[in-house]
Amino acid sequence: MTKIWGKRVFSSSLLDSRFLFLAATVVGVLLTLSIFAFMVMLGLPLFSVHSLTLLLTQAWAPDQGLYGVFPFICGTCAIVSLSLLIAFPLSLGNAILIHLLAPRRLARFLHQVVKMMTGVPTVIYGFVGIFFLVPLVREWFSRGSGMCILSAALLLALLISPTMILVFLESFSAIPATHLRALEALGGTRRQKLLHVILPGARTGIITGLLLALGRALGDTMIALMVAGNATAQPESLLDSVRTLTAHIALVMAADFDSIEFKTIFACGIILYLWTAVLTLSLRCLHFNYAKSSHDQSL
Amino acid sequence: MFWFTFKKESSSFKYAVLLALLSFLCFFNSAAQAESTAAFRGQTGVLRISGGTAHIPVMKEVSKIIMQAYPDIQISIAGGGSGAGIKQVGEGLVDIGNSGRKPTEHEIQKYGLVLHRWAFDGVGVIVHRDNRVQALTKGQLQDIFSGRLRNWQEVGGVDKEITVFTRDEASGTRNVFWKKALAKKVITNKALVVASNGAMKAGVSHNPYAIGYVSIGYLDKSVAAVVLDGVKPSLEAVQKGEYTVVRGLYSNTKGERDGLTKSFIDFLFSQSGREIIAKKGLIPAAR
Amino acid sequence: MTRVFDFLLYVFAWLCGLILVGAFGTFMVFLLTQGLPALGFDLIFGGTAIGDALLLKRVVSDGLLPAIIGTLLLIFLALVTALPFGLGAGIYLAEYAGKRSKSFFSLIFDLLAGVPSIVIGLFGFSLTIYLHKRFTFLTPCLLISALALALLVLPYLIRSTQTALEELPTTLRLTSAALGADQATTIRFVLLPQAAAGIFSGIILAIGRAAEDTAVIMLTGVVVSAGIPRSLFNSYEALPFYIYYMASQFSNQQELQQGFGAALILLSLCALLFTLAWLIRKKVTARLLYHHH
Repeated sequence: MTKIWGKRVFSSSLLDSRFLFLAATVVGVLLTLSIFAFMVMLGLPLFSVHSLTLLLTQAWAPDQGLYGVFPFICGTCAIVSLSLLIAFPLSLGNAILIHLLAPRRLARFLHQVVKMMTGVPTVIYGFVGIFFLVPLVREWFSRGSGMCILSAALLLALLISPTMILVFLESFSAIPATHLRALEALGGTRRQKLLHVILPGARTGIITGLLLALGRALGDTMIALMVAGNATAQPESLLDSVRTLTAHIALVMAADFDSIEFKTIFACGIILYLWTAVLTLSLRCLHFNYAKSSHDQSL
Repeated sequence: MFWFTFKKESSSFKYAVLLALLSFLCFFNSAAQAESTAAFRGQTGVLRISGGTAHIPVMKEVSKIIMQAYPDIQISIAGGGSGAGIKQVGEGLVDIGNSGRKPTEHEIQKYGLVLHRWAFDGVGVIVHRDNRVQALTKGQLQDIFSGRLRNWQEVGGVDKEITVFTRDEASGTRNVFWKKALAKKVITNKALVVASNGAMKAGVSHNPYAIGYVSIGYLDKSVAAVVLDGVKPSLEAVQKGEYTVVRGLYSNTKGERDGLTKSFIDFLFSQSGREIIAKKGLIPAAR
Repeated sequence: MTRVFDFLLYVFAWLCGLILVGAFGTFMVFLLTQGLPALGFDLIFGGTAIGDALLLKRVVSDGLLPAIIGTLLLIFLALVTALPFGLGAGIYLAEYAGKRSKSFFSLIFDLLAGVPSIVIGLFGFSLTIYLHKRFTFLTPCLLISALALALLVLPYLIRSTQTALEELPTTLRLTSAALGADQATTIRFVLLPQAAAGIFSGIILAIGRAAEDTAVIMLTGVVVSAGIPRSLFNSYEALPFYIYYMASQFSNQQELQQGFGAALILLSLCALLFTLAWLIRKKVTARLLYHHH
């Protein structure tokens, strides 16, 4: 942005609004960092008793002195990746439908529905999941309890799709109309439009949507806690019940504060924090590179 | 005027007498209740309770009576399980910490806990109402919970996989069940984990192939109680000493307390308190 | 070949639309058919006289009133706490920060936006336990939950304020400067009013987030039964937690019905807040247009 007001050397008063704004910012930053610092501080006693490798690789069986969170990492990965596997094509299809194929009225209606869906509280998805989806899954597969990876992933897919669709749509509409018109003038088909202009042009947006949805799925607690069953075993099939890192925090909260069980939740907190931090950083890199490459192109 | 109209018809008259009787009873009843809640008169403030989930039905009922009689008293009830109850009262986060097991010597020493055991309770095995298997031996039970027996067919049921429900490690119910029914044998890690007695019952009542365990106070028609080694878990069986998976329900305080906390605990041991405890399917204990 | 591909694309896209709308429709129909019969004054007031309940003369022990009030208080307190920081940081990033510091700060706030809510709840909880050792009156309570929720919604407020300000044309700033206004005056009287609509949409997001979050509050003080909180340091009830609680441990059909009723109420509450905020936003935009043309 152009510099309009130069830096003033003498501030009229200590309570210059500039410093108030800076203070607000700094408070926010400190809080963000202190979340991590606090987790580490409270988790440290655990790492001195229990090596980090053991913690990350062992099974969870407090009765036998095993306090590993590995099964929960697996559970989280299983649910998150399955939900993305379902939600990604679903969202892409919907974005294409709304942006390109559907008649204007219907497209607007669908867009509204999707926007509405983003406002549905997670706990309600979980609630309906327990009484509607879980019995269905149990009967369909006539195996297991219905409280499993599949049920949780289906619900999560419903939760994250709207976010993805909205990001996709935004990136679709950011494609310069001139490109599309040029293609139309050359007699391009809808397929060519999609494959050669829209999808490549929206590549960054698509990855952004995917990463954002991944973060949302990773951070969700209620759906997994309510419908994934919270078993501590390592999952072997989609119909197995699992516990996610987030659900583990919610469940073990009740334990004795001094116990090792309780301290593992800080390990889960640290893992989740770092995991989402990596996602945020990769998003940042993605956009940085994108900005750079589009800058180079325009030169 | 009402009497007048009632007198005209004899059936109305009967109703009136009945009504009068009923209202008299109600009055009597509430008078009795008023007497037992009298200790709360003039008290204000907040009483925080947390911990064991087997206690919650009684806690809710008692606090409802007190809060309705004295709106200036606020009582908050949280679950969390026995582990949380003991820890939270010890740290001073709540006034009363409930536990479905006796706090260990270490815990009592460390926090200076005072225990109040106001009820006896059993832990009963439950299955879905429609399950054909409604009796098991302890051996079979241990095999099911350890994951060795995986199909209901192996214990005389339908050809379906068994879904085992259990509680988290901080649960007093789990602790007692594990010690007294499972003889400290391992519980399969494939078991679904729920956070309270209520969640256990709701989960089993909605899954035809599930098995779990709850406080006897939670037993009702929505689930089937399993006969264990020939004894059906019930209050009578616990009282007679036939059913052995039993425990006390404790409300723990940090040191001797007075004020609201004391009044609340006294109420649990009063006549009205004992009636509520019995109504909620538990056996009231003397101080 | 092209035909086949076009056809497949067509089928795929429509199928996706059908699945999404179908799934969401089924979800809504199920919720409505189960929840609507439960709705009524009894669901909220549990048989207590409405006036008495609202004036705190009598305690509502079987109704949703304490949970509804708890949720509204949470939203209000969280927003009141987060708003000054959100606005301040947003303004700083958009108007004052240099290129380097802006990039650093916004990275941090992106980080905060990504932190799972349960981790924020855990932070709130452990901080409370930590502080409790010194200030024994401090236990998980309404205040702690509201503060944790404020931290949860903070990045939404910052981001929306920042973008709303950055999207304003530079000419606005130039004109203001040419008229002799300094930067603070320009922000206060020119830029902020112009950016109000964008800032409001951030507030909408924040409200929705604070209303629905369950993970944060379940670690920081929400309980099954507490009545209407009388002070910031009390435990409280809240709708999302009530729904979670009923889902896992309803003891009879009636409680299950209440759970469905609560779910519907929460959903309508969210819808209502969104509509309200949308109307405000529309009005603000209209007023601005009126003022400037």
